[in-house]
This record gives sequence, C-alpha cells and structure tokens, in this order.
Amino acid sequence: MLNEERIRLMTRMASYEQNEGKRNTNIGNYFRGDYILIQVIKSVISATIAFGIVFALYVFYNFESFMADIYKMDLMEFAGRVFKYYGYTVVIYGVLSYIGFSYRYAKTKNSLKTYYKNLKKLNSLYGNQAKK
Amino acid sequence: MTTLLEFRENIKRLYSKYEAVLIPAAKFIFALIVLGTLNSRLGYMAMIDKAALLVAVSALCSFLPMGALLGFAALFSLGHMYALTMEAAALGACLYLIIFILFLRFSAKESIVIMITPLLCAWKIPYAVPIVMGLVGGPASAVSVGCGVIIHYFFDTVITNSATIGSMGDEEAIAKLRLLIDGFLGNKGMIVMVMAFAITVLVVYIIRRLSIEHSWTIAMVSGAIIDMIILFIGDMMYDTNISLVGALLGAIVAILVGKILELFRFCVDYSRTEKVQFEDDEYYYYVKAVPKMTLSEPEKTVKKINSQSRTSETVRRNAANYSGRSVVTERTGYGNGRRANLSDQAGSRSVTINSSVTEDDEDDYEDLF
Repeated sequence: MLNEERIRLMTRMASYEQNEGKRNTNIGNYFRGDYILIQVIKSVISATIAFGIVFALYVFYNFESFMADIYKMDLMEFAGRVFKYYGYTVVIYGVLSYIGFSYRYAKTKNSLKTYYKNLKKLNSLYGNQAKK
Repeated sequence: MTTLLEFRENIKRLYSKYEAVLIPAAKFIFALIVLGTLNSRLGYMAMIDKAALLVAVSALCSFLPMGALLGFAALFSLGHMYALTMEAAALGACLYLIIFILFLRFSAKESIVIMITPLLCAWKIPYAVPIVMGLVGGPASAVSVGCGVIIHYFFDTVITNSATIGSMGDEEAIAKLRLLIDGFLGNKGMIVMVMAFAITVLVVYIIRRLSIEHSWTIAMVSGAIIDMIILFIGDMMYDTNISLVGALLGAIVAILVGKILELFRFCVDYSRTEKVQFEDDEYYYYVKAVPKMTLSEPEKTVKKINSQSRTSETVRRNAANYSGRSVVTERTGYGNGRRANLSDQAGSRSVTINSSVTEDDEDDYEDLF
C-alpha cells in the first residue's frame, strides 16, 4: 500500500539529491580544514592570475614611460612595490575566501545533517511497515 | 487578494503542466533578447550580426544550462570588440577573465544576473535588479550585480569611444588601450552605481531576513530609498549624470516587481500569526509561525444523471418498478414513450421528478441508472 508520508519524504530527498545535494555531498566528503585549505589555495592561484593580468595591463598602459625610464629606475624597489601590492591582493582575497568558504561549509553541513535525518526517518518508516 | 491568489495558482498550474515546453521557450526568448541587444548595441562584426545565427544560437541555448548563454554572450561581445579593435577585445577578455576567476567562484549560479543587469542598464531600467536579488538571493548576489554593472559600463566605454578608436591607426595600440582604460576606470557613474546596487542588495537581504512583520515590503521599500539616496549623493559628489527622475520611476517599478515576486515567493497572512512556546530536555523554544496564504483548489463534482448507453425504455421500466421518488430521464425527439415537460426541440433531454414521496423513501435515485 502507498504510504503518503514516505512518498513525500522520498520526493523531497530525491529533489535535494538532484540539485544542491550533488555539490553538498562533494563538500561533505572533506574535513572542514581540508576543504577550506583547498579553496584558499585555489583563491591564491586565482588572485595570482588576476594580479598578473592587471599588472600586464598596467605595464602596457605605461609602456612608453617604462621604456624611457627602465635604465634610470630602481628595479629592486619597483619589484618590492609590486610584491607588496601582490601580497595585499592575495591576503585580502584569501581572507575573504576563508570567510566565504567557511560559511559555505557550515551551511552545507547543516543541510546534509537534515538530509541524513530524513534518510533515517525514511528507514524507520520502512521498518515500521515491515513490522506490520 | 483572492483574485490574486487564484491568478497565482493558475500560473503555477500552467507552469507545472507545460514546464517541459515553457523553460526552453523562455530560455530561447531570453537568449534572443540578450544576443540581439548585444548585436544592436555593439554590432561591429557583420559576420555574427545575422538573424539566422542569432536564432540558431538561441535555439541551442534553450537546451543548454544558463552558463552556456553567458559563454555565447561573452564570445559575441568579444567578436564585436575584436572587429572594432583588437585592444578592446583584449581588454574585454581580461575583464571577463578577472570576473570569472575572482567573483564567479562565489556565485556561479547567478550567471543570469550578470546578463540581466547590463541588459536592463541598456534599457535604463536596472533599479529592480538589486531589490529582486536582495529578495531572492544572498549576500553574494551583490557581487553578481556589481559585475553586471561593470560589464555594462565597459560596453558603454567601448561604444562611446568607438568613433575615436576607429579613426586611430594600428600603430597606436597603446593609445587605444589608454583611451579605453581611462574612459572605463575614470567613469565615476560606474563606481557610484556599483556601490549603490551592492549596498541595496545587502540592505534588502538583511531586512527581509529579520523576524518582523511585512519584512519583505519593508525590505524592498528601504532598498529603493537607500538606492535613491546613494545615487543622489553620488550625483552631487561626482556629477555622474544619472537621471534622478529615471531612478525614482525605476524605484517605483522595482517595488512593483518586488510585490509581484512577494506574491509568488512569500505570501503570508500575518493576521493569523501564532506564537508558541515549549521546551524539551535541552532547549526552550519560542516559535513564531506565520501561515502561508493559500487557496485550496475548488473540487469539481461531476454527477452523471444520464448515460447514452442506456435506452429510455430501460430507464422507464426501472422507474415503473420503483415505488418511491422516481427520476425519469428520456431522450426526447424519438417519438416513443410518454413525454413530461417536453421541450419542442428535437434531441433535447428532460428530467421529470415525481414528488409522490413516501416517508421511508430513500434518496438513491442513482440506482436507476
């Protein structure tokens, strides 16, 4: 016989599995520290690429003055300044990523917890039916 | 309100019935609008500015995820910019790459916002976007909306400087790039708009999550007011030439759009709010339950009182055997049988109910059929 409560629960769970569940299960496979570390490393790489693009545009924008002053300018001081800005970019973006992905991990864990609770409930519903 | 709820239920029913057709159709139309607007605004490359290609790509996008349309839109815009000058295309590619690797990591699902925002900005009605995103999205939506505004202003810079760039030679690559970067980053209107929209998204999001009555309405009105105030201050400080009358009208439209959205997403009846308090071993619970406004579907009961398969003769015979209230149904116009309350019209039906009812009669005239 059809059990309405069980069908409703299974529909909700199937919808979750098909949508956000996939991504959440992947995230849930990691420990918190591992997940956040991987994401922060990805963020550092992304920030490095983005900084590289911006720096290339900056150099291209000031190409004439660079060419004119290249032998006069203190290259070490210039490199130090570039690294300082690079450091700021990476640190700020890394911290924002850390906050963002920590929040995402916590939210995902909560949603997975609800999913597993529903799974247990479904199991007990099947158990009850077997007893009858 | 009942009419609105009925309308909502009808729309929902229609959507669930034709979902398989409606979603691809909506995607097709949206792709057509996005790519068509790009072609009409930029339109420097004749090769991709063709109706047949537009329809073909839109048809393809209707079966692909929304990210595919974002990819096609980026390719179309880069193609047009490349036809104008390679420097514009290179700058555009750098901008897309930065947006993609830095910002879309946090809100990958909101690619539609990045397309809608420049579209509505081009039509001069972008004010609904931050309010709607604050209502249905999260804090990360501020990033998507901001990226959309930046892309709009980048297109604007390219279009504004297209005549100058067109007159410059190939050897002036650096001058072209400088012209574009100066025009783009020096645009104070863009900075004001990004700030206004990002703050509006956050304010609307925070207020609509508060545990107060009519939080959605308060959120959208506050968002519209804050948006207006920031745009006004920005205009005073930087002379951004943003039309304040347009912004005011846009804010009104944004509230209307928000109210329509509220009808579909958060239609609750505060007059029936219940506050309950209980406890278990670990916690005390203070629960506020606000019921949703719903309209139960009207039940249609169809009672069959005649059947084509039974002849009127059989019915009359049954009626004669039945000693109580009787229902005689006959198809008139055939010339057989006694007619009561006959209509002159051939082929019509008539029902006669005898009122000679005894006390122990049962109301089971359905047995006759």
